[in-house]
Amino acid sequence: MTEPIATSVPTVTSPPVVVARGLTKTYDTGASQVHALAGVDVEFHRGAFTAIMGPSGSGKSTLMHCLAGLDTATSGTVHLGRTQITGLRDAELTQLRRDRIGFIFQSFNLLPMLTAEQNILLPSQIAKRAVDRQRFDHIIDVVGLRDRLSHLPAKLSGGQQQRVAVARALLNAPEVVYADEPTGNLDSRSGSEVLSFLRDSARDLDQTIVMVTHDPVAASYADRVVFLRDGRLVDEVTDPTAELVSARLLKLEA
Amino acid sequence: MLRTTLAGLRLHKSRYVTTVLAIVLGVMFVSGTMVFADTLNANYEESVMGSATAVDAIAVPPEQEQTGDPAAEPAEPARLTDDQLDHVRALPEVAGADGMVQGQAVLLDDEGRAFGYTPPAALALGEVTRFSPDEGSLPTDGTEIALATSTADQTGFGVGDTVTVLDADMEEREFTVSGLVNFGVDPAFTYGGALVLDPGTLEEMTGTTGYAEIDVVAAEGHTDEQVAEAVAGVLGSDAEVSTGEEFGLAMAEGAGADTEMLRTALLLFAFIAMFVAGIVIYNTFAILIAQRQRELALLRCVGATRAQVFRSVLAESVVVGLIASALGVLAGVGVGMAGAAVGGPLMGMDGGVPVVLTPVAILTGLVVGTVVTVCSALVPAIRATGVAPLAALRTSATSAGLEKGTGRVRVVFGLLAFAIAAAMVASTQISGPDQTGPFVVTGAALVAFVGVVVLGPLIVRGCVRLVGVPMRRVGVASMLAVDNSTRSPRRAATAMIALTVGATLITGYSVVSASVESTMTRQLDENFPIDYQITPQFTMEGTSAPDADTGPGEGAAEDVDAPPEAEGTEGAGGAEDTEGTEGTAPESGEGSVPAAAVEVVPDSVFEDLESEPTVAVVSGRRNAFVETEDGRFLSVNTYPGFDAEDLGLESTAGDLADLGPGKIALPEDDADGTGIGDAFALPLEDGTEVSLEVVALLDPMMSMGILLDEQDFTEAFPELTGNDAVMVRGTDDADPAELREAVYDAVDDHPTLQVASMAEMRGQLSEMMDIAFYTIAAMLGLAILIAVFGISNTMALSVLERTRESALLRALGLARGQLRRMLSLEAVLLCLIGAGVGIGLGVVFGWAAVEATLPNAMLSVPGAQIGVFIVIAVLAGLLASVLPGRRAAGTSITGALASE
Repeated sequence: MTEPIATSVPTVTSPPVVVARGLTKTYDTGASQVHALAGVDVEFHRGAFTAIMGPSGSGKSTLMHCLAGLDTATSGTVHLGRTQITGLRDAELTQLRRDRIGFIFQSFNLLPMLTAEQNILLPSQIAKRAVDRQRFDHIIDVVGLRDRLSHLPAKLSGGQQQRVAVARALLNAPEVVYADEPTGNLDSRSGSEVLSFLRDSARDLDQTIVMVTHDPVAASYADRVVFLRDGRLVDEVTDPTAELVSARLLKLEA
Repeated sequence: MLRTTLAGLRLHKSRYVTTVLAIVLGVMFVSGTMVFADTLNANYEESVMGSATAVDAIAVPPEQEQTGDPAAEPAEPARLTDDQLDHVRALPEVAGADGMVQGQAVLLDDEGRAFGYTPPAALALGEVTRFSPDEGSLPTDGTEIALATSTADQTGFGVGDTVTVLDADMEEREFTVSGLVNFGVDPAFTYGGALVLDPGTLEEMTGTTGYAEIDVVAAEGHTDEQVAEAVAGVLGSDAEVSTGEEFGLAMAEGAGADTEMLRTALLLFAFIAMFVAGIVIYNTFAILIAQRQRELALLRCVGATRAQVFRSVLAESVVVGLIASALGVLAGVGVGMAGAAVGGPLMGMDGGVPVVLTPVAILTGLVVGTVVTVCSALVPAIRATGVAPLAALRTSATSAGLEKGTGRVRVVFGLLAFAIAAAMVASTQISGPDQTGPFVVTGAALVAFVGVVVLGPLIVRGCVRLVGVPMRRVGVASMLAVDNSTRSPRRAATAMIALTVGATLITGYSVVSASVESTMTRQLDENFPIDYQITPQFTMEGTSAPDADTGPGEGAAEDVDAPPEAEGTEGAGGAEDTEGTEGTAPESGEGSVPAAAVEVVPDSVFEDLESEPTVAVVSGRRNAFVETEDGRFLSVNTYPGFDAEDLGLESTAGDLADLGPGKIALPEDDADGTGIGDAFALPLEDGTEVSLEVVALLDPMMSMGILLDEQDFTEAFPELTGNDAVMVRGTDDADPAELREAVYDAVDDHPTLQVASMAEMRGQLSEMMDIAFYTIAAMLGLAILIAVFGISNTMALSVLERTRESALLRALGLARGQLRRMLSLEAVLLCLIGAGVGIGLGVVFGWAAVEATLPNAMLSVPGAQIGVFIVIAVLAGLLASVLPGRRAAGTSITGALASE
């Protein structure tokens, strides 16, 4: 486990890809106000695989949505590279998502009427971008989907579906990939396959990945884990192990 | 259970909006029709009863009121005499009685030409009469005249104007219009026109004596029945006597028959609208059941029985149906009122009559709407009972996967339906045009439609695959649209079929309409390449009847007369005969007037025209009928002045150019086996025969009867020296205005001659066809609107189902606009397939119907109109996708992703 440290050291010094400053998100539920995010400052560096953890209702999904421009923050700023994405209009956000961000969701990642290959190529088509066939072939081989490309999602197992989603997110080499509980619906073997693949791509392809999860085992694949509670960043662990993350999590819940 | 149903309904009421709208529109049509027809009927009844009950008893000569057809009146109607009137007056039960004299007089319009195809009825009314002036007063002396309101409307004359009427000797006499009389629905006076003169003047003008009707007022203390009985006693078999009320009821019945026809026609369109609404409702419930599988399964899990689930779905449809039908009835009453207000006056209705709301009209709307809704929901309800309790535990709430493929049974059944339809169409083509043709073709269309319904999913998939190839290349939105539209082919097919119904009917009708028009135009152009036709005004009294003795009788005359009419020599009459769908317009009187009543066109007109430089050809037409030994009537014609080739007739054998003295050309079916060069014995009415050499045989469907040379005709029928029609063709370089002037100059001295311009006739024909087309298109428009609602609803429900998918697409960078475009394209694709299938069916069966009805039809596919349909289909698709698109694009991504 020394190698990961060796490679992750320079990434810490490299400029952050995503920077959030004083991020708040408040929901009005009639009588009371719920502070889903109560001032979050966080940075994600190039080539780093970061997990966001926290108990239910800690605001981890909201944080990811705000970082990805899927949701608008009440106050605070988010930068992706040099672009401040808070305050962008919907059309600009759409373009940003399409060109510079990749997504992996817990379930319902794929369009049921498109084949695996069509699903993988969809963002490029939306963006009218030429596909880098070499990168496509490389990714397909790494995720092991070569013989499944012409299948509809309904014919694929859960693990295969998630691997298609990962391939799709990585194909365009986006500046950052957001993964929302990517293994939540998978059995442990399929889950570890997907997570290994995410970790490897962060290292080998210098890919920035931010993953929301509540599973300590999943978080242990990351280079760094940040902990959220009641909308605030409360803790951080680098080079986590499942045991370490569980312990910290238990401490938070207490 | 009911509470759960109602709670569910409240929760999902937005999903029913378009379904409710579909039902509302259909029901609105049904009850609107009922209200409109009821109001119209009541109005007719009131106006008829109003005039008839003004007197207590009415006596008419027996023949008079036997039919409502003005043309069927006998040439010499029986009349009641002064003696009979005196007898009536002498009755103790009678307070007063007067007779109505009815003759005919030619009324000149403001251009000095005779008004109408037949001269209007000229009436003289006594003190006691059921008619009263609507405006002004009845004529009191020989300088005044009253006109029927319909006649005044058509001629543009009003009270105070001076009008010219011709007497029996065609001498002009001027009158001042003193009043207008509304003859209401009485067809004899309203269609043909009528004018009222002072009794003395009428006799002076027309020579008519005797009474066509005696109106009686009862003396005090006597009921209407007593008076009628007494009058009947005096007049015996010379008159039919009825009380004012009976008379009115009989008249109202006649008028009511028209209203009932209108009601039936409108209800037919309402039925189509309801049928389409039924398809839409079925699809909505089917989709809702599919989407609510989990909900229903949960109900089963907590102990609901299959029957309860079934009842719950049905109860839902009853509630939806009732509410929507109630709204529809309300809307229908409004539409009926508007219809009565706008359309009423066009139908001869007085304004300001209250709208009639019968319980039947309201109940019909409610029952039809509810029953259609419940029946349409029946199949989905049965399907709902098949949901297993376990379905509640499955992760996917809806069948996210794709539907199963189309079964083989389905394919076989569908193809079988098409084969049967094709066989039926083929049989009509083989048997040739006849009366059953249109029915067989309609039946074939229905069978083919069943085939479309059965094969719908396959058709959708096939069409999408076809257009999908280019669409996929265009962009990601169209690519996704293509894929989406085949996801649930059955759903898409049902939505599409709703549109197909309307599209088929409209296209079919437009093909029929265009084909009829072009066929008739061609016949006008080719068979009689003439510009004007001059005919005498028909009179019903036969003041001069040179060919009265040759007339073979009324019925036969009509039969034999029919072929030449079909040739378009008599424009309007021909139009009706051939088409047979255009109702009973007043002009058709021309066709059924006995030949005996025909006058001739004066020779001076013929000569005048011959000397005109703008006129190339002037031809007369003389026609006679002879009876063969076996009792058939042959129409014998000659066309003085016309060369054989001018007639534009095609012979099936021989050459028409050989026609000359001693020669004859005859229709194949009159030839009795004689061939070219054989001698044909033409029987004459004096019992002798004349033998002529056959030079040409004519197509019986196209010919105008037997053709003779003028010389032979004159020898055979020496008493027929006048032309019963004169046809004029201008020189090729003649200025239309000059030619028109020349023709009108020639007839200037003869105001009763009718001048028909072929160009105008063609214009009128196409105008008439256009009006019919637009009316029918407007009626079917509602069915199409309902279908569009159905497509919109299907889209909206699909969007609901695909909320997460839409969110995913948005997260992956699909812009809102692209998402909307994707849905628009999907809807447009559906609409285009629906319209395309409809247009295809419409063209095929429209063509088949034309071929099966019209001989020598010229198929004409109205490209421009079909282009418009396609544009409308595209617009409909865009319209249908507006709301679903807004909804899909407006949903928050995070919210949609979070919701399971």
